Amino acid sequence: MSPARMAARLLRLYPVSWRVRYGDELETLILDMSGGDRVPWRIRTDVAVAGGRERLRAAGLGGDSPDARVRGGAGLVLWAWALFVVAGAIVQKTSEHWQQVLPAGSHTTATVAFGGLIGVAIAAAALVVAGIALTLPALRRLVRDGGWAQIRRPVTRAVAITAVFIAATIGLVAWAHGLSPRDRQGHDTAYALFATAWALLGAATLGSWTLAATRTAACLTLPGSLLRLEARLATAVAVALGVIAAATAVWWVSVANLAPTALTGSLSNRGSAFVPQLVLAMVLMLVALGLAGGGARRATRALPHLAGDD
Amino acid sequence: MTTRSRSDEATAGRSNDPPVLILTSLAAGEKHGYALLQDIEEFAGVRLGPGTLYGAIGRLEERGLIEAVGDSGRRRPYRLSPAGAEALRVALDGLRAIVDEGSARLARRPAAGRSPTGSPA
Repeated sequence: MSPARMAARLLRLYPVSWRVRYGDELETLILDMSGGDRVPWRIRTDVAVAGGRERLRAAGLGGDSPDARVRGGAGLVLWAWALFVVAGAIVQKTSEHWQQVLPAGSHTTATVAFGGLIGVAIAAAALVVAGIALTLPALRRLVRDGGWAQIRRPVTRAVAITAVFIAATIGLVAWAHGLSPRDRQGHDTAYALFATAWALLGAATLGSWTLAATRTAACLTLPGSLLRLEARLATAVAVALGVIAAATAVWWVSVANLAPTALTGSLSNRGSAFVPQLVLAMVLMLVALGLAGGGARRATRALPHLAGDD
Repeated sequence: MTTRSRSDEATAGRSNDPPVLILTSLAAGEKHGYALLQDIEEFAGVRLGPGTLYGAIGRLEERGLIEAVGDSGRRRPYRLSPAGAEALRVALDGLRAIVDEGSARLARRPAAGRSPTGSPA
């Protein structure tokens, strides 16, 4: 690949706003450093990592100052929570009929684990809502002082995706109303495809609002006391996510031991404990736990370097 | 009522931090990206990558510590702003304090061949 093409490809790793400002200069520098030969791997790696860093900053998750590290760390925890919501929805769908399939009186551990994960999930959601609610006065100040232009794009995008999701939900409900329970369980291929697309759209809606939240948070003027509180809330959410993941694993193992066929998401007696959806949910949870742990650590470690309120 | 980091004032604390290297290089006069890399390698022996360089340039420009010279161009030069000169002074003072302390501690060390307690090794 020619150096010019490689340089252009590497630049695409950066956010558009960054490219508009520095793209030409960085491209020229890459070509100058490559001396007309192929772009060395050292340069490719350096530019790719730096591009990723700029993407994180653009999403409100990067930055070197203690203030930015707290916001970025809390933002990572928020992304982790969003991933857990998606994983939780998968677990919920998979666990629809598990209690009916297990032998009566045999599911104490599974019941306790499942009840625990529901309770902690509600607590985690309450912590996230509290963390967002605490920033609302700062958001009101931002909008009042003319900062709407800074957050307009991610917010309008999220609103648009949400509108499409609501329309799709109405269509899905109307469609499901005319189907038999058997068809709704996957025997109607067209409906199953639409339901899958709807689920993906739901995940995209959640993702778009999470992006809007982290980008908005990066624009807010927050006092040190509030940043400290947000860091602690983020840490509490990260711990809660760890408990949810552990409870899900205990529930899964417990149910799998008692009745492997209980996890197929239907009343059918065919199936295995290794349901692909549950495997996917656990993988999502593990990825999210990594994000949450990293985010909480980043926010907490920045706390001693935060100055007091001016 | 915003929070400001203690390290914001000093830009960076290590001599091989890209912001300190860039500010030091620009203290000698305006330079574009490639000239900056060459100068930094010459005086510090550090080979910065182009992504790292422009990441740091973006940050420094955002904080008003350096300024682009001219409105456009693919080899746009940068220069140190007055705030950048002050930030470099603060960063160098911090580094100097470490150098002085390290030198003093080395001078207080027992002579070679002796353990810290003074007994022969």
